[in-house]
This record gives sequence, C-alpha cells and structure tokens, in this order.
Amino acid sequence: MSKTIEVIVAPDGKVTVQTKGFAGTGCKAASEALEKALGLKQSEQLTAEFFSQPITHQQATEGRA
Amino acid sequence: MAVSASQSPDGRVYLWPLLPHQGDLAISHIVQIKSEVRDAAAVNAACKRLGLAPPVNGQHKLFTSSAAGLGIKLPGWTYPVVCDLSTGQVAFDNYVGRWGEQSKLDALLQMYAVEKAKIEARKKGYTVSEQFLASGEIKLTIHVSGGAA
Repeated sequence: MSKTIEVIVAPDGKVTVQTKGFAGTGCKAASEALEKALGLKQSEQLTAEFFSQPITHQQATEGRA
Repeated sequence: MAVSASQSPDGRVYLWPLLPHQGDLAISHIVQIKSEVRDAAAVNAACKRLGLAPPVNGQHKLFTSSAAGLGIKLPGWTYPVVCDLSTGQVAFDNYVGRWGEQSKLDALLQMYAVEKAKIEARKKGYTVSEQFLASGEIKLTIHVSGGAA
C-alpha cells in the first residue's frame, strides 16, 4: 500500500490531516512538519487499521472420475 | 500464510486465510488543525488563485483602528483583511457582515491552507494532487516517497 497524507481543507479554512499506509507510528513523523506549518493542532486521533488487500479466494475443482 | 480449506457439496474446495485480515498493521493518524497565516508565499499564491490583487505589506486602516501586516482587499469588503505573519492572526472589521461577506474571508483562508500544504509537501519532494469536493472542501493527496514508515 502506498504512503499518502490526505489534507482536507474545509470552506472555512479548518484543516484535517490524515496519514494512510504507514506501518507503525511512522505516520506521525511523516506529517508532523506539515501539521506545524499549517497552524495549531486542536485534536489528534490514532487508529489501528489493517491494510485492506483483496483476499483471493482460491478455488480448486476436484477431479472427477 | 496459513489457510483452512472447506469443501462444498458440489466438490469445489475453498481456501480461506486463518486470520480475518491480510497484510501489515497500519496506524491511521488524524489531526485537526486551526490554520495560522504565517507564510507570505502562500498568501500570494492564494490571492493569485482567487483573482485578488497582490497583498500589500504595511499599516492598514480598519475603520477606527489599524493593523500592520499583509493587507488584502476582498471583493465587496470596505476595509482590507490584514495578515500578521508573526502571530498567524488575521485582523479585520467587516461590521458583522455589513461591510463584507464572511464567506470571502473563509475562501481566502481555505486557499491559503491549500497553498501552504502544497508548498510544504513540495519542499520534501512529495507529489501533490488536488481535488475539489462537492461539500466545498478541497482535498490534497500527498504521495510520500521514501518517508518514515
């Protein structure tokens, strides 16, 4: 999964920054400079997720005599 | 990866992963930020994108008071809005909307944040794509290459 930082800027200028695809807590280091440059941090949330990769259902047909 | 197998009545065999997920644990990190206006280049870029005159640095009159900083004339506003880059604050007097629509200032603050985020991302060599959402929000997707993981 690629590493991305999503920045959503509301019509009134409020900003939400979300990191995606970072393993462990590397996400915080990746976006810290950007967050500081934009303004004052008001809230922060860390959520554990799993990379969603499609699971291939392997199918095998038994040979029939 | 460990799998379990099951066989359907028609003879087909299905292989299932034993774990409910596949892949590595990721941490999603969400931060809410109140914008501060501290970057002259981003202010200039925002004004340009909104079709406004370039900001003027100096002392600006706001009805009975005055403020020092980058003055920006917004459409339909009687007095300029003044960005003090040292504090990040914006001084203005629109007489509760009678001397200028709040939405014009909001649009400037939104575009400032967009341009500032793009400047910071490019400093680090990241690529940025921009998308306008139906909600009025602007979404930037910053593609991090070789970042900390």
